[in-house]
Amino acid sequence: MRKLAFFIPFALFIGLSVFLFSGLFSNPMERESSVLDQPLPAFALPDLQQPEKIWTPDSVKGKPFLLNVWGTWCVTCNAELAYLTELREQGVMIVGLYYQQPTDAAFGEVFDLAALQQEVALKLEQQGNPYQWNILDKDRTLIFDLGVTGAPETFLIDAQGVIRLHHIGDINPQVWQQKLAAAYQNMQE
Amino acid sequence: MKYFFLSLLLLTGSVQATQVLIEFKSPEQQALFKELTHELRCPKCQNQNIADSNAVVAVDMRHKTLELVQQGQTKQQVLDYMKSRYGDFVHYQPPLNKFTLILWLLPALMVLGLILLLLARRKADHAELVDEAVTESQGQLEQQLDHLIEQYRRKS
Repeated sequence: MRKLAFFIPFALFIGLSVFLFSGLFSNPMERESSVLDQPLPAFALPDLQQPEKIWTPDSVKGKPFLLNVWGTWCVTCNAELAYLTELREQGVMIVGLYYQQPTDAAFGEVFDLAALQQEVALKLEQQGNPYQWNILDKDRTLIFDLGVTGAPETFLIDAQGVIRLHHIGDINPQVWQQKLAAAYQNMQE
Repeated sequence: MKYFFLSLLLLTGSVQATQVLIEFKSPEQQALFKELTHELRCPKCQNQNIADSNAVVAVDMRHKTLELVQQGQTKQQVLDYMKSRYGDFVHYQPPLNKFTLILWLLPALMVLGLILLLLARRKADHAELVDEAVTESQGQLEQQLDHLIEQYRRKS
């Protein structure tokens, strides 16, 4: 009985310590996306540089690709452009989904497509252009349907247009190797 | 200097908070909108509801909530809509499933454990008392025995 009375609080203490310690290394932003293993939600959005071209789930699918949610306003997205460009050179297909921040009419802001196109072109010229093309989601409808919480986020879409993987945060060599590379290679075969 | 601060005050007066007035068809819809924006959780933030947050995603969720409420959707429909995109995380009331079962079970298990512990301790205390009583009575018996032996020795 004495032994037990000693052991129970001790075990509780150890258990709590392990739980809290592991919490130090967990990422609170990481949680499973609820659109995994589902086909791309319906959308019809214009190309960023050629707005007369409309992209739909049917027109984007055919080959496995990375759908990268980004914006020129997003610092982390800019940081990952160089590595994504490297990936493109290795033959990885990457499509950009442009995250347009809301314009605040109360501050006299208006959406200016020409200015945005220029800004994006300049940015991609400076940092490298990993994108086959960019889809402009001005009102963040597809972004909302994909459950995107911010930028950058990346989805891995297979040839049938089904969402297979989701990554929140930037893509760097480590993330690519550990999380995405194998899944992407598998889809190629 | 004084005038400088005074002019600063004047400046603040000209910057007015812009508030958006939302029109509802009925007080019920207004109440539902309020309830939902307080129960839905901003997925970008650490522990803020969407009524409280101005993150882009929270603003978008507020607009979507409003749109769905104005369409006449029920609370459950709006919650399902949000959960199908942002997961269970987005509602402050976690559903009961195999991942969250422990939240419900743990308190019950702890109470049960405590009761068992108390019972066990009581039993142990009781056993100790009995033990003591036994040793005590044994001591007395031995004394009596000693006493008797002494008596017989003297007689013989």
